[in-house]
Amino acid sequence: MILRRVQYELAGRAVGPLLLRLEAWQRARARRGRAGRPSPFGPPLEATRKLKELMSLHYLQGRWADGAVPVAWVTSGFPVELLRPLGFHVVYPENHAAMCGVQRLVPELSDAVEREGYSRDLCSYPRSDLGSIATGKTPAGRLPRPDLLACCTNICQTVLYWYRALAERFGVPLVLVDAPFVYGEAPPHHAAYVRDQLEEAVRVAERVAGRRVDPHELVEVTRRAKEGARLWGECLATSRARPAPWTGFDGFFHMAPIVALRGSEACNAYYRLLLDELRDRVARGVGGVREERHRLLWDNLPMWYAVRELSTLLAERGFSFVAASYTSAWAEAGVQVDPSDPYGSAARAYTHVVLNQDLRHRLDGLRRLAADYACDGAILHSDRSCKPYSIGQVDLRERLAAELGIRVLLLEADHGDPRAWAREPGENRLAAFMEGFA
Amino acid sequence: MDRRAYVRRQRDAFGRRSLAVLPVHHPKPLLTALDLLAVELWGPPGPPRSDAAGRLQTYVCAVARNALAFLAGGHADVVDGALFPHTCDALQGLATLATDLGGWSKPAFTFQHPRGDDRPSARAYVRAELRSLAGALAPLAGRAVDDGRLAWALRLHADIDAARAALLGGRARLRMTDPELYAVLRRGEWLWPEEHLAELRAAAAALAPAPVQEGVPVLVTGYVPEPAGILAALNDAGAYVAADDYAAVGRRIPRPPLDSGRASAAYARGERDVKEGSATQARPLSPTGGEGRGEGAPRDPWAALVDWYFSFPPCPTRGPDQAARMRHLVSLAERSGARGVLVHVQKFCEPELFDVPAIRRTFEARGLPVVVVEGELERELSAQAATRVEAFAEMLRAGGRAA
Repeated sequence: MILRRVQYELAGRAVGPLLLRLEAWQRARARRGRAGRPSPFGPPLEATRKLKELMSLHYLQGRWADGAVPVAWVTSGFPVELLRPLGFHVVYPENHAAMCGVQRLVPELSDAVEREGYSRDLCSYPRSDLGSIATGKTPAGRLPRPDLLACCTNICQTVLYWYRALAERFGVPLVLVDAPFVYGEAPPHHAAYVRDQLEEAVRVAERVAGRRVDPHELVEVTRRAKEGARLWGECLATSRARPAPWTGFDGFFHMAPIVALRGSEACNAYYRLLLDELRDRVARGVGGVREERHRLLWDNLPMWYAVRELSTLLAERGFSFVAASYTSAWAEAGVQVDPSDPYGSAARAYTHVVLNQDLRHRLDGLRRLAADYACDGAILHSDRSCKPYSIGQVDLRERLAAELGIRVLLLEADHGDPRAWAREPGENRLAAFMEGFA
Repeated sequence: MDRRAYVRRQRDAFGRRSLAVLPVHHPKPLLTALDLLAVELWGPPGPPRSDAAGRLQTYVCAVARNALAFLAGGHADVVDGALFPHTCDALQGLATLATDLGGWSKPAFTFQHPRGDDRPSARAYVRAELRSLAGALAPLAGRAVDDGRLAWALRLHADIDAARAALLGGRARLRMTDPELYAVLRRGEWLWPEEHLAELRAAAAALAPAPVQEGVPVLVTGYVPEPAGILAALNDAGAYVAADDYAAVGRRIPRPPLDSGRASAAYARGERDVKEGSATQARPLSPTGGEGRGEGAPRDPWAALVDWYFSFPPCPTRGPDQAARMRHLVSLAERSGARGVLVHVQKFCEPELFDVPAIRRTFEARGLPVVVVEGELERELSAQAATRVEAFAEMLRAGGRAA
């Protein structure tokens, strides 16, 4: 236990940073002297290097977490502020699955669990995650075994089915925060229910961690989480400028800390750094896309395996994604937490995430984003793996086009599994969509 | 009788209003207490009844797509409102799509049942949610719920559950084919409960003192027995449903309620094994006793309704404990003498599909063969599915065991 803890701390404080600096030096050396390829994008963000360091360190340290500190596997919509004061090393299987998507590992991982009987019609996140457990293959090197599973149904019900399979596999406690869907206004008994569950969840987490939540630490973590969400929101808001200093596709990657490190000082320090750079780019008129002619809104998760190719295809024709409902969601909910009422405010904030609200709210949100960011088009990713996000998009497309007079494309694919992305027909549809702007 | 005609007759003869109710779990005793006729809408099967199905992507399950087509096409206009239980992402999405963006303009209600274990927060919540629903339905029903009527409704449904349990539990002694039995059971999805009880009791009169079924007993689990042809195929192939775990049927027959205090305390300790009770399928809930009152003492019917909610067998749409569900399925198989397991799932139905590997593992470890048949709420069973069922039954008849 002590040795394990020493390894864990060393990985986070000494070995990890050293290895990452070495890797960065090797990359820089390899790049030296190589002529840069012509790119439709603006100069890369300096902060990206820091982002890689931050997230790599998180996963590197995680390799030695089990046995050293309590480990929780958590859904992205779970109020993680409540676990941090208990010293949990937190792993986000969704974030890990996105990494698997970026590295195009999903078909292989999915094949492994399809052999066990999991259907390919299930969300590719759990297929990746369960496949990673079954095969031991992960872009993170190794994921620590969980002592606790923490699941909140505010993003989808899929996480419940996924986590009950994990609970069965690992034989560890699963705390569930069931967030009733918000039709119109949430009645008081819904908020009370979520709050009660949070208190129940913390009692289980305390038992697993072997210590009690320090109320002062909880207030401090909540304050940091709120501040992190505010900073993230400000980073996104810089894209209201013309040209937008970065693209929405950049945002998909830079959201990793607000998802996986929410409530930590490292997360906030990172977003302060990013915000400074983005503001500087705005002041200097540096765009995420070199020649921004059209501004687009993206709805739903990205296609992790095709982010680069899609963003390049669009950027080459002067299209820049300046807003995304997905990245904005992390700014909207997080700022509602209140350090003076950690449980009650978390109950309200986490119940009101965009995916847990009705389609009128979704439509209003998309309208607002399109107006605030001066978008002249939108792409709605009809995501086979994310039904709660995708249901209603056929109607949303028509309403957005009719009410805002913008061009809207519904593009069917999957956030993790490239086998569901018909590349040629998809790119043809994109080309036709872009031609409509001429 | 045609359902539309039945709904009209109920209104004309009894002044009874009606609700289209989407799957799966809803507080039927509450609707009965309000004198509201529940007409369940499981799709319906077959091709979508209007173009509105195209408003949902093809990777959304046929239950939601067909229901949207049915509602938006005006086929449910005979009812006075619709109730959307919070079953899954697809039905939750359907509820907001149809009511907020068009397709259903009559009154719409939601019942957001809790997910998760029997725990203090869930009990307090479900009680408040039931009260809230009762208040919302009262104007439509033209009456408020009073305790006496709710107690009566609970007793009525306890009798129905007992009769359904008797038919399913005594399946081997019942001189009926599976299609005949399920036709009776599923008429409860739209008949007024007292009429349904009368039909159930009449069917139960056919229970013989000794087993009469000669086919191979099979445990069936899945969402809804549609197309019904799957039951006929099973019977034709020399097998029969000895134990039922369909969400639409067996999973809606309560088991004895848990001691809420014991379950809550266990939850706080993080224990996961306490939820499985005696695993006796389908013993009816007593309308008396529980929650600290002595057996037989008069009790708050709302507390009884809450107990009723928490007394169902494990269902992936409600609970987080996969192990409890597997234990329940094993118990069903053992008590019924099932020699194989038919998993009948609807394509894109995540709650059911996620459990398929665990079902396979569980029964294959016990030497019980498992077959998975996937459908899309077709009107007729496909020849391919029928062949799978036939081959499975044939293998069981020949004494096949899982490798």
